Amino acid sequence: MIMEGRRTFGVLLAIVGTFAIAPLLAILYYTFVNGGQLDFSQISRMFENDRMWHTLGNSLLLGVLVIMGTTIIALPMALIRTKTSLIKFDWLDIILTIPFMTPPYIGSMGWILFMQNNGFLQQLIPSASWMSDYFFSLFGMVMVMSLHLFPFLYLMLRNTLLRINGSFLDAALIFGRNPWRNWAKIVLPLLVSSYVLGILLIFIKTLAEFGTPATFGSRIGFQVFTTEIHSYLSRWPVDISMATSLSLFLLSVCLIIWYFQNLIGRKNTYSVLSGKTQAVREMKDKWYIKLGAWLYVGIVLLFSIGIPYFSIIVTSLQKVRGDGLSAGNFSLASYQAVFTSGSAGLSAFLNSIVFSFITASVTAVIGLFIALYIKKGETKKQQVLDFFSLMPNIIPGIVFVVGLIMFWNSPLLPATIYNTKTMVVVTYCVLFLPYSVQYTKSSLSQLDQSIFQSAAIFGRSSWDVYRHIFIPLLMQGILAGMMMTFIISMRELVAGLLILPPSVETGATFIYSQFEQGNVGLGMAVAVITVAMTVIFMFLLDWLQKRGGHAGA
Amino acid sequence: MKKSSLKMIATVGTLLTLALALAGCGNNDTAANEGESSAQSKENKTLTVYSAGPDGLAANVQQAFEEKTGMKVEMFQGTTGKILSRLEAEKTNPVADVVVLASVASMDGMKEADQLQSYKDAENADKINSDWSDAEGYYYGYSASALGIAYNTKNAKTVPSEWSDLAKAEWKDKINIPDPSLSGSAVDFIYGYTEAEKTGWDIIQSWKTNGLQVNGANKEALDSVITGDKDATISGVDYMAYKAKADGEPVEIVYPKSGTVVSPRAVGIMKDAKNVDGAQAYVNFLLSDEGQKLVTDAYLLPGNKEIPVKDRAALDEIPQLTVNWKDAETKQIDILTKFNEIFQ
Repeated sequence: MIMEGRRTFGVLLAIVGTFAIAPLLAILYYTFVNGGQLDFSQISRMFENDRMWHTLGNSLLLGVLVIMGTTIIALPMALIRTKTSLIKFDWLDIILTIPFMTPPYIGSMGWILFMQNNGFLQQLIPSASWMSDYFFSLFGMVMVMSLHLFPFLYLMLRNTLLRINGSFLDAALIFGRNPWRNWAKIVLPLLVSSYVLGILLIFIKTLAEFGTPATFGSRIGFQVFTTEIHSYLSRWPVDISMATSLSLFLLSVCLIIWYFQNLIGRKNTYSVLSGKTQAVREMKDKWYIKLGAWLYVGIVLLFSIGIPYFSIIVTSLQKVRGDGLSAGNFSLASYQAVFTSGSAGLSAFLNSIVFSFITASVTAVIGLFIALYIKKGETKKQQVLDFFSLMPNIIPGIVFVVGLIMFWNSPLLPATIYNTKTMVVVTYCVLFLPYSVQYTKSSLSQLDQSIFQSAAIFGRSSWDVYRHIFIPLLMQGILAGMMMTFIISMRELVAGLLILPPSVETGATFIYSQFEQGNVGLGMAVAVITVAMTVIFMFLLDWLQKRGGHAGA
Repeated sequence: MKKSSLKMIATVGTLLTLALALAGCGNNDTAANEGESSAQSKENKTLTVYSAGPDGLAANVQQAFEEKTGMKVEMFQGTTGKILSRLEAEKTNPVADVVVLASVASMDGMKEADQLQSYKDAENADKINSDWSDAEGYYYGYSASALGIAYNTKNAKTVPSEWSDLAKAEWKDKINIPDPSLSGSAVDFIYGYTEAEKTGWDIIQSWKTNGLQVNGANKEALDSVITGDKDATISGVDYMAYKAKADGEPVEIVYPKSGTVVSPRAVGIMKDAKNVDGAQAYVNFLLSDEGQKLVTDAYLLPGNKEIPVKDRAALDEIPQLTVNWKDAETKQIDILTKFNEIFQ
């Protein structure tokens, strides 16, 4: 079949290699080679720098604290959504992913505006001013980041718990002793493996995060790797070799963590997926459980969505920001300015849409071919391709961006895409390819083996088999991957900041530059529009998945 | 099954087409412009400008220049630091023709590093403030901002009149300063202030003891004064304060009588410029009366003293410290290191 030949492997590896691996090699080259000679002075200069160790300490500390923060929020939420009557309300899952879909720098700006001295909180409740001092500390930063990242851990835990709910617990009820023992002996061990997987990914995501450290962290003087790399690249005096050295170091840290995750993952994986659909049992709660559950959900929603969005929307509506929350200080002027034809905000927003759409389409096609080749990853070649195509998920985006800049500016290349719009799309594709590969792979894994066999027997040619059988069956997964890629590309900040060609802005960089130099109200208006569109897309995605589920059954 | 999946595809297709169509509508003008410019490019070429000018000014200059010359300008806007880093990354593969920086020290550094070319015969060059420009014509100080104390008129209890006032108890934890590694003008301020005042570093230390916060780029620092988080910004760039004031925000700026730093902004032509004629035309335009008028519209000080300022203090009304910008760049790196040591 066409997806198994050696040539296919060669072509796919060449694509992934040029776009994802070459940038990393460029980082290695620029760190260790100076004027054509092997040179370790850069890397030793980095290790001699106290500031680097300080930054490393900060990043790791932040990672650990955010793991704790997200656990505190996500674990009870996952239990509530699977063990109480709230199991019925699937719409909650979409609402709960809004924080994750909110660009982190906007979320933390919202919190800053709310909590700061004379901020919205103090205007609403003047006596709450003592809270500000406590908030602008590492504690506040961990809270803001946890509130942003928890949906990720929550969804993983919820899915595992839902699966355990089924036959495992039935068996335990029949053969086991008391409910607590069932919990300790069955649910917890099963939960641990997906929990460990989840928190390691949270750890990596925290290390890779740029938005919150850039806004909140710089305010409290808390530097992490990403902000350091960015500042070596964009602050005066510029030090590019230091940025590549730091990138290399961050890359190594992430790969080590990823290695441990694999080690743990392999040891503790139990197959909790069976073909049977789980029957959702009707649950009746005692009143206090129900009340407590709703209260908890309410508080989490208030903190993760309510407060930041309150600040964002209010700021986008304010006429005079110095007048705060006073009647008559509100107008739609910022929105009008955005929707004026040819305004910078609008064209930036539309650029984002075009870039994201092209990225979603390109990654969908490449992702499909890669997923079809990898299948279940049984041969070495398949595993190699699998690893390389998912690598951008483990490696912080800023590292890739630095590598891409170095690679495409290399004097050895006959032609370059640097400083063109193509560069933006290529960068996005590299960063977000894993999403489309994962979505397509997971819908491929749901196809029964018999389909492959009957296709092989009855199919006319292998191309026909793909066109008439696999692609239609996989369409739902591909579309979901496309939507996801689209949403994530819409909010990408750091890539845009570093690689956009002259005269081009994206929604994210436009908003960010409004904080740096321009009109904050205008920036917030673009933010509100972007998020509103993202939420609409998410509901659509959910609707598609549900429809797809019915259609496939 | 087939039917519903077809429907699904159709829905998604329609939605995405809609999104694209929307995008297409908005981008129509730019697409048309691009077409035009590629047709013209044989005669006129496009001009690439890296500008650290204030957002509005850079866009206005671009528009007026395009209308006047018919040349298409590709504009990259960013802070001085971002532009320098971009130039560094692109060293092997340069794109910029003209560079506009918010710091003369950095501009002088570029001249020393042999990255600029001289343009002695710029029109109006004789009218431009010679303190801000290079005698050999490598760069021209087309505008400047003065650095003062920007304060919130609603929250500040007294009006500050001296730099040392901000070390007093009433300003405790209420003051900030733009981060000098992000803001070219803040480096200029610290450099100029510590060079001219013997007690400069002691005063900076006393601010630190009084809870001085180092707060992002210029706008971010001013923003926390506007929203009331802080009461005053030290080394606040005046044109931003005047602009905010014009928008009705409760902000005012004062220049201490003992003197302050005026931070010039300069334009120069890259050595590797591909479109030298266009670059020279751009410099001429910035120095022309029309260009200088746009500068004053952005509440900046014009390089040409004859052009009247708009709703702000004129250059001779501002008490100044004497600062020498020659070879300032290397000294500024030391200053920055020292500042970072104090504030870390």
